[in-house]
This record gives sequence, C-alpha cells and structure tokens, in this order.
Amino acid sequence: MTKGVIQPLESYRLRQYAVPIHCYLCDAENTCDAELCSHCLAPMALAHQAAGQDVQPCMIATVGASSAGKTVYLGMLMDMLSCLPSRVRIVARGAFSITLQQNTAGALSRRLFPDKTASEPDRWHWVHCQLRRPDRSEPIELIMPDMAGEAILEEVDHPHTYRVIGAFLRKSAAVIALVDAISLQEGHRDHDYFTMKLLSYLAELDTDPKTGWCRRPVAVVFTKADQCESCLEDPVGFAKSHATGLWQQCQERFKRHRFFAAGVAGAIAYSQSVLDGNVDVPLRVEPRGIIRPFEWLLDEIAEDKKRK
Amino acid sequence: MVKSVFEGYPRRAAVRLVLLLGATGILLMVAGLLGAITPFWAAGAVLILFGVASWPRRTVAECLSIDETSPAREEPARRPVPAGGGSGAVDPSDTGGLVKQMLAQYRYVLLLRPQIAADLDESQFAEALEALQRQMALVPDGDVTLGPVDGVWDDVVPGGESPRAAGPRVVGVKRFFLDRWPVTNRQYFEFVAAGGYQNMSLWDESVLPAVLDFVDRTGVPGPRFWKQGCFLEGTDDHPVVGVCWHEAVAYARWVGKRLPSNAEWVKAGAWPVPMADGGRAERKYPWGDDMDRSRANLWGSGPERVVGVHEFADGVSVGNVYQLIGNVWEWTHSDFHGGDHPLGKLIFKTPMKSIRGGAFDTYFNNQTTCQFQSGDGTLARKRNIGFRLAIGVCDLVLDHAALGKAHRPAEQQSLPAAAGPSHPEDARGEEVRA
Repeated sequence: MTKGVIQPLESYRLRQYAVPIHCYLCDAENTCDAELCSHCLAPMALAHQAAGQDVQPCMIATVGASSAGKTVYLGMLMDMLSCLPSRVRIVARGAFSITLQQNTAGALSRRLFPDKTASEPDRWHWVHCQLRRPDRSEPIELIMPDMAGEAILEEVDHPHTYRVIGAFLRKSAAVIALVDAISLQEGHRDHDYFTMKLLSYLAELDTDPKTGWCRRPVAVVFTKADQCESCLEDPVGFAKSHATGLWQQCQERFKRHRFFAAGVAGAIAYSQSVLDGNVDVPLRVEPRGIIRPFEWLLDEIAEDKKRK
Repeated sequence: MVKSVFEGYPRRAAVRLVLLLGATGILLMVAGLLGAITPFWAAGAVLILFGVASWPRRTVAECLSIDETSPAREEPARRPVPAGGGSGAVDPSDTGGLVKQMLAQYRYVLLLRPQIAADLDESQFAEALEALQRQMALVPDGDVTLGPVDGVWDDVVPGGESPRAAGPRVVGVKRFFLDRWPVTNRQYFEFVAAGGYQNMSLWDESVLPAVLDFVDRTGVPGPRFWKQGCFLEGTDDHPVVGVCWHEAVAYARWVGKRLPSNAEWVKAGAWPVPMADGGRAERKYPWGDDMDRSRANLWGSGPERVVGVHEFADGVSVGNVYQLIGNVWEWTHSDFHGGDHPLGKLIFKTPMKSIRGGAFDTYFNNQTTCQFQSGDGTLARKRNIGFRLAIGVCDLVLDHAALGKAHRPAEQQSLPAAAGPSHPEDARGEEVRA
C-alpha cells in the first residue's frame, strides 16, 4: 500500500530551472545546477561568476604540445603573481582557481615536476582570477585554463573533438604558445610542427579578411630554456635557427607576435621510473622569463581595448 | 593616448627637458598674470600643456618588469690597474715587493704558510695576519649534521671508508677559516690580470682542453659575463659569477686556499651548538630558524640580480660570515649525488659538484636553508653561481714568535716568486661519524 506524502512545491526551484544559464565559452544552455557545460565541459562556475560580477572576463590561452611545460608555466605564473606585491597582482576567484598553483608549487618545492594534465576536460584546472596593475585603476578579470597537450593536438587535427578547446581559442584575447626548447635544440622538429599547426588553426579562426593578418597577439615562449643558454640569451635567434617553420609562419600571419624564453629549474637530473622511464627532476627552482611574456600580452590586450 | 615627443630619448634626459619646459611655463604664467600680459600667461599655459603631453611615459612592461635576464649595466668597467701589478711586475729577489704584491692580490694566506711565513719579518707577518682576520672568519671545530644521502656519501671520505646506511649523519670538522664574503669581481680580476688562465699549473690536467673555452663575452679569458677581460661597470664588489667549478679551484690554488667541503659550509652557516644530551642545536638559517627574506637577496626580496657582497648585511652568521644565504649559490669541493631527493638515486648527464646557499632567483624558502644542497655540472658557468674559499687552521702559522726555522724544509726556505699552486683540498680536516 502506498502512503500519501506532502511534497512542498518549491516554486523558486522551478523558476531557477526554467531560466537557462549560458556557458561562458560556447553559449550552450545549461541548468542552474550544472557543474560542467553539457555541451563543451567547461566549468559553469565561470558563467556564474561572470554573471554575478557583471563583467566579461578576458581569456588568455596557454597552448603547446604535450610536455611543453604548460602546467609548470601557468602554475608558476599564478604563484609568482600572487606573491609579488609590487608588480601585476592576481587574486583568485573561487577556490578551484588556486588548485593549479598549489599543485605546481607544492611539487616544485619538493623538487618534482607536477603530474601530467589528464586529457579529460572535466579534470583540467581552470584559473579565474582578478588581475590588478599599479598603473591601472580598473582590475581585469582573467580566465586561463591548463589544457592537456594531447587534447589540443586532437582538436587541431580533428576540430570539434574537444569543443571546449575550440570554443576557448575562439574567444581568447591572446595566446601564449609554449615550445620545448630542449627538444628543438636536440634537433627534434615535433614541437615545431605542432606549434605551426596550432598557429595555423588560430590564424584560421580570426584572420582579418582585408589585411590577411591574424588579429590576436601571440607570445611564443621557448620553455625549459634554463637548459639551453643560447635560447635564453637570444630567443629570436633561436627561433630562426631551430624552429624555422614556426618563425616563418609568425612573420607571415601574425602581425603581433614576440619570442620569449623561460625556464623554471636551475638544473635537471633524472630518476628512473618503472612506468615512465627516465623522469626529469628539478634540482632547484629558479623561475626565469615567466612573467615577461604575460606582461607583454597584457599591454597588447590593453592596446586592443583602446583601439575598440 | 598622445605619443611622447621624447620617445626614443634617454628617459632621464627627457624628464629633465619636460621639467624645464614646465618650470619655464609656470614662470611665464606667473609673470603674465602679475603683469596682466596676456601673451605671457598664454605662452606659459601652452608650454605647461606641451610638457604634460610629452611626459615620457613608460610601457607597463618597463614600469613593472624586473630585469629577469641581464645585469644592470652592460658596459665593461674602465680596466682597473691590477693591485698586484699583474704577472712579473715585481723582481723575484725583492721579498718586500713580493709580499706587498701578494697582499694586494689577496694572496695573504700564502704568506702565512709555514714554508713562507718564516721568511717574513714581523711587520710583514702582522700585515698578512691582519688581512686574514679582516677577510676570513674562524669557524671552530666540532660536529655538524648533514642530511641523508641515500646510501652515497656526498663528501670525500678520508681513508676511503665504505658508504653506510642512509640517514642523517654527523661529520666532524676541524677548525678552519672561511671567507667572510664571496670572492668578488675585483678579487678575481687580479687572478685574470696575473695570467691565471695561462698558468697551466693551476688547472687539473683533465680540464686543460676546456680552459681555452673559459672566455668572456668578447672571447677573452675570464668569467662568462665579463667583457674584454674585465668585469662590468659598477660590479667590482659583486660576487664573481659565470665561473665553473674548475675556475673556482684554479683561483683557490692561486690564492693558496681551497673550496670548502659540504660539512664546512654547513658548519659555518648552521653554527651547531652541542647540547647536554649529546645532540646539537643547528640553525636553519645563519640568523636563526625563521625565514626572514629581508636578510638575504632571494627571489622577491631583492632586485632579482646579483648585488654587492656588502649588501644584506643583516643576514650575517654567528661567526660573522656574510651572504651565506642568497645572492649567489656557492661552489663547494664536494661531489653531488642528489642529496636527500625524495625520488632517491638520481642520474646525471655530467658529474656534478655540490652548491649551497641559494641565489637571487631562488624561489622557495625550503631551498634556501643551510642544510639544502643542490648541484651543477663542473663546467657550468652560470649567472648565479659564485664561490667563497676556506683554509684549515692547521695549514697556517698564526704566531710569528713560535716559528722555528728548523721546522722549515730546506728546499722551501726561499720565497717562491710565483707562489706556486698548493692543493690544500687534499688535506681536508674532516672525519665522518655514524
């Protein structure tokens, strides 16, 4: 026998459900309690925060091949900017935005590199932060995800495989493209080809039909340059001699591009792992060239805003 | 925004010009207003407006960025006259002249060697002793705890004892003198000017082929970041950097000292104090157990470049040794096998030597303690690695009156003109205990 129960009609919930929340990246409609966008898997927290603060966050994409150093670069950038009071300063929006820097700084302080980023978008770390600069009164809202290199490559090769990447790259105001300097120095061209593909993909997204130039500023950062002194001293010369294709493409298609070199480890050793073979181990942490590309992009974005 | 008309000019000059314009404008305005002369105050207003509009703005990157790659100035210093007069400047038979030259070249330790000290008169000996006391600090003998080393001793064990189980170990250190400051560009310049890179007896035979490659930015023998065999303008009191481990050892031989061992370096910084229960109280940092970034030139606490050795004096150790932590890493004599790395045994592309102390760009606090050890290849010539030197007390004569000529070996009674190389690191006073 079934018993009758009294179920209060929570009309406010019905009302909430009736109003769809648009994903900040792909504009797909989601219910109010969705954690991830049902269409692209971007965190809905970004949309809630953007709606709550009534601002349009600026997005900067950090892209590169697998093991190019995206997690270390982004994690260290966030940690450095949140520690240094006199320079560009960031404040995390939401606890989830701190996880990336926590994982990165925690591992590096123990002289280990952080774990590889998983390919599944629901396991990526997203950073949403407020950025303040001493010379600007208005803070900037910023979104920077740590996307897996394999996923980026897959999306570039087969568009719409990872909708979140396509949606994010389409909306991002600037791009930091990371390239493994050691790999280039050793003569491997994989990273060169991958970055060429990626830049080509980006160029297709927003090339000005009149001029043929891609509008977005792109900072090409040679990572792990601490192990490659010639790259640290002259990133442009290094690009010309070791990543010729990439250099040419930047000259031809990106009006606003600049080459940088960055490094985090002072010296490297290896540890043998049964599963992963030789694993790189940082012997000490001495960040170098991390902030400069980011500052340059901020300047370029500010210029864009002025033009608009 | 209006572009500054002074864009491209040196910023300081542009600021001065604009200020001059502004001041003239104000004077004209005041004069114009007082005398009710319209053209005057109008001209003044125009000048002020022009000045404001052409104020030389910096880009955000210029305003905010700290120079992450290069030293402050790139010009080589006006080549200083070597205090020692360079190589061969003094007649070898002129003992007084040689002593003066060696003192000027910071080679006072050689003068205090038993073989040489006996030939000095009292005033010369006193001068050398005073130089020693001014430049070096005495570190008393005693035990110091070094971190676990995963079954591999990272110090040379006298007598070739076999490695023991992992875990913290106690190393006995005999009393020694340690440089109060890292070796400076000015001090190293004496070595370069005296032909240190050409004196093959100062270098290990195995490294001789590489010595030709130890050149500065202009291809002249010297530290990597120098130009024309000379340090850069305004960096004479900066620690010498861009020198590899072999260059540090060659310099040490030339001045009659040696690189400190791991244990000696930690002893000078951690300053262990024996406790009643047989243990030791050791400091994490030379100034105590709490990190205080204002006392050391580290990432975020300094200008993010090498500074002079006399800055950050608050970070002095109990024994009056400066800048052990921060500014530049310091080469030690000891091999590096990975220290206490959580992953255990590490593999290196090239043999490494231990470095200690952290540098201006060291990021984490736990990598700047006296106990923290890192390493780098023996041929690495980096912008943040320098060195300081040590000498055992037992290697020196500190009391002229006690000198007995009978103790001198006959063949060493005369003062050597070039003060030939000594290899003091072969006789390091260390004893490893369980």
